[in-house]
Amino acid sequence: MAGPIGSIVPGSARAATLERVDDNFVGCFTAMASPCEALIDTDDRAEARALVKIAEQEALRIERKFSRYRSDNIVHRINHSGGRPVRVDEETALLINYTVACYEMSDGMFDITSGVLRRVWKFDGSDRVPTEDAVREVLRNVGWRRVTWEDATLTMPSGMEIDLGGVGKEYAVDHAAALIAARTERAFLLNFGGDLYASGWRRGERPWSVGVDDPGRTGEAAIYRIDFSSGGLTTSGDARRFVLHKGRRLGHILNPKTGWPVEDAPRSVTVLGSTCLEAGSLSTLACLQGPRAHDFLQEHGVRFWIL
Amino acid sequence: MQLGVSKPTSPLRSRLSAAAGALLALGSPAVSHGDAANPTWHVDASTLFYGERSRTRIVEPVVRVTRLFPDGQSISAKLAFDTMTGATPSGAMPSGRVQTTTTASGHVVTSTVGDIPLLPFRDTRAALDVEWQKPILGTLRSTIGGHVSREKDYQSLGANAKLSVDLMQRLTTVTVGAGTNRDSVFPIGGTPVGLSDGTILDTGSQAKRVTDGMVGLTRVITRRWIAAVNVSRTLESGYLTEPYKVVSLLDRVNGLPSGELKENRPSTRNRTDVLGSSVYHFTDDVLYSSYRYYWDDWGVRSHTIDMKYRHELEDNRYVQPHVRYYAQTRADFFTFGLKKGAPLPAYATSDYRLGPLRTVTLGLTYGFRTDYVPGEFSIRGEYMRQYGDGYPKDAIGTMSTMDLFPPVGIATLVLAYTVDF
Repeated sequence: MAGPIGSIVPGSARAATLERVDDNFVGCFTAMASPCEALIDTDDRAEARALVKIAEQEALRIERKFSRYRSDNIVHRINHSGGRPVRVDEETALLINYTVACYEMSDGMFDITSGVLRRVWKFDGSDRVPTEDAVREVLRNVGWRRVTWEDATLTMPSGMEIDLGGVGKEYAVDHAAALIAARTERAFLLNFGGDLYASGWRRGERPWSVGVDDPGRTGEAAIYRIDFSSGGLTTSGDARRFVLHKGRRLGHILNPKTGWPVEDAPRSVTVLGSTCLEAGSLSTLACLQGPRAHDFLQEHGVRFWIL
Repeated sequence: MQLGVSKPTSPLRSRLSAAAGALLALGSPAVSHGDAANPTWHVDASTLFYGERSRTRIVEPVVRVTRLFPDGQSISAKLAFDTMTGATPSGAMPSGRVQTTTTASGHVVTSTVGDIPLLPFRDTRAALDVEWQKPILGTLRSTIGGHVSREKDYQSLGANAKLSVDLMQRLTTVTVGAGTNRDSVFPIGGTPVGLSDGTILDTGSQAKRVTDGMVGLTRVITRRWIAAVNVSRTLESGYLTEPYKVVSLLDRVNGLPSGELKENRPSTRNRTDVLGSSVYHFTDDVLYSSYRYYWDDWGVRSHTIDMKYRHELEDNRYVQPHVRYYAQTRADFFTFGLKKGAPLPAYATSDYRLGPLRTVTLGLTYGFRTDYVPGEFSIRGEYMRQYGDGYPKDAIGTMSTMDLFPPVGIATLVLAYTVDF
């Protein structure tokens, strides 16, 4: 009865928890390689458990469908299509359409084909920086303009890859929120790895209180508190992952046109939008603007905080 | 810290909002029926073709259907049929003269000089395995399974259970399991008494009982690397002999076979197995490797080293070369022949599977998908070469000039198909 080699994959049961904290229930689970939380403003434990379950299953469904680490989903098929056209389903098509809208609005700075740059850039705090030639070489496989996208069919040259990590989590938050909102009148807040959405005022007309991570002591302390009732809240920035080069700190947000990190990107940008997707796209686009981040966000009429 | 000032919505926000709107209006795509990301059914089907040169041929179609539930539960049923034909070594030694053997399926066989005597046979076997997996309380997972199989002269019933628990944020999994099997053997023509000439027969069936337990530890070492260790112990008791196999009686002077006795094995067997395995993910490719050490109280000890490397090709295809090396020492009571006239030992067998044995296997799997049919196909070809001790030290006379265990080549072809829906 000794297990054959196929049985060594660890069990897929997630260590989900549900706790009462003050007057909310907080459900925690892991998905998309991040800690996730669902806060439900209710006194009914069974209701809270059911809603947290919806959030968890939706997060896992999106992870299975769009993660580039899996070998059994549409992203893998696209990334191994060898230049052949791939027809995608409706959900994938709409998500790609959304990323194309971001591409056009950012003048090409937001580009889902830029993920291959990670082959030469490893942001581990060391001083390993790729050579100009290495970057130039990888850059030949970057550029949405090289992709043919029409009629829900994607044709991508061999060697290129798409990475939906930049929108996957925000989409999961919004979609899970839509599913939960259809099931309950209660206020709730979803936090998937730092990307949030809140549905409305808590009982007693109280807002949700969210801390903005201190970039200097990341993961340990909040530098600022934001109180809000509804909307999407996301944070982008360079504080955590970087490379030291000739005394300069190069952040991990790469410019897909040059292959090099964006210069003077803000350390931390937090944006409050009407949905998590919108907030996430705006905070990412702002970082890609480098020193112009503040002006960029000001033009678009959202509340934001830049550190 | 700079705070932002509110302004009415910009054209960019309107566009983002429109693009997101369609996406979020989609509702729940996985609700009505399963899709690739949330399958409710998983089917594996394969057919195995196995052939030893001029010996056994097996065709084995297998189908396994698994029903998956949203809460992580799953139920699966697997049906396998084997049709085996051909011939297998009887255990008798080759001779310089013609030998005759009678067989279980009623044939009479004549082997020629120097050939290893074989028993022809034809048999079909059907087996059904069911399994129910259920997550409990988030970190525990229970598995309960049952097995039933039947062939002309053998029946097996079994049940097993396993419990896994995830620790340390799913980085470590501990599994314990236990199982039991009740088998019945009812040889054609009756059960011969061991180490006799086969004329005294016991009609009715013989029982064999197997109990096993295992403990396993799996650990996610890095994001790319998972390793596991498994230890299992098995206790078999009851009728463990092969009723059709024989041991030759050898003439003391010229060493040639001059008679046969039915083989006889002990009625208990205590087995232990330690398996270490590892899965390492490169960027796209995967390396599977394992090492297994086995020993039992019959004196058999073996090592197995197995490695597979899955290499991803473009267009959703892959190739997976496979290498396996197996080496086994003989059972204490293994002999290539008993000396005529000498006192009989309690147990004796000439079954090459309990003798000194080495095998080398090379294989290659090719997997692919097509746009016309959902699911994944694969073709696997393997070639195994078995080496035994063809020239045992104490062979005398003509026997010492003959290769008593010429290398055997075995070819296997498996065609398989997997689909989720």
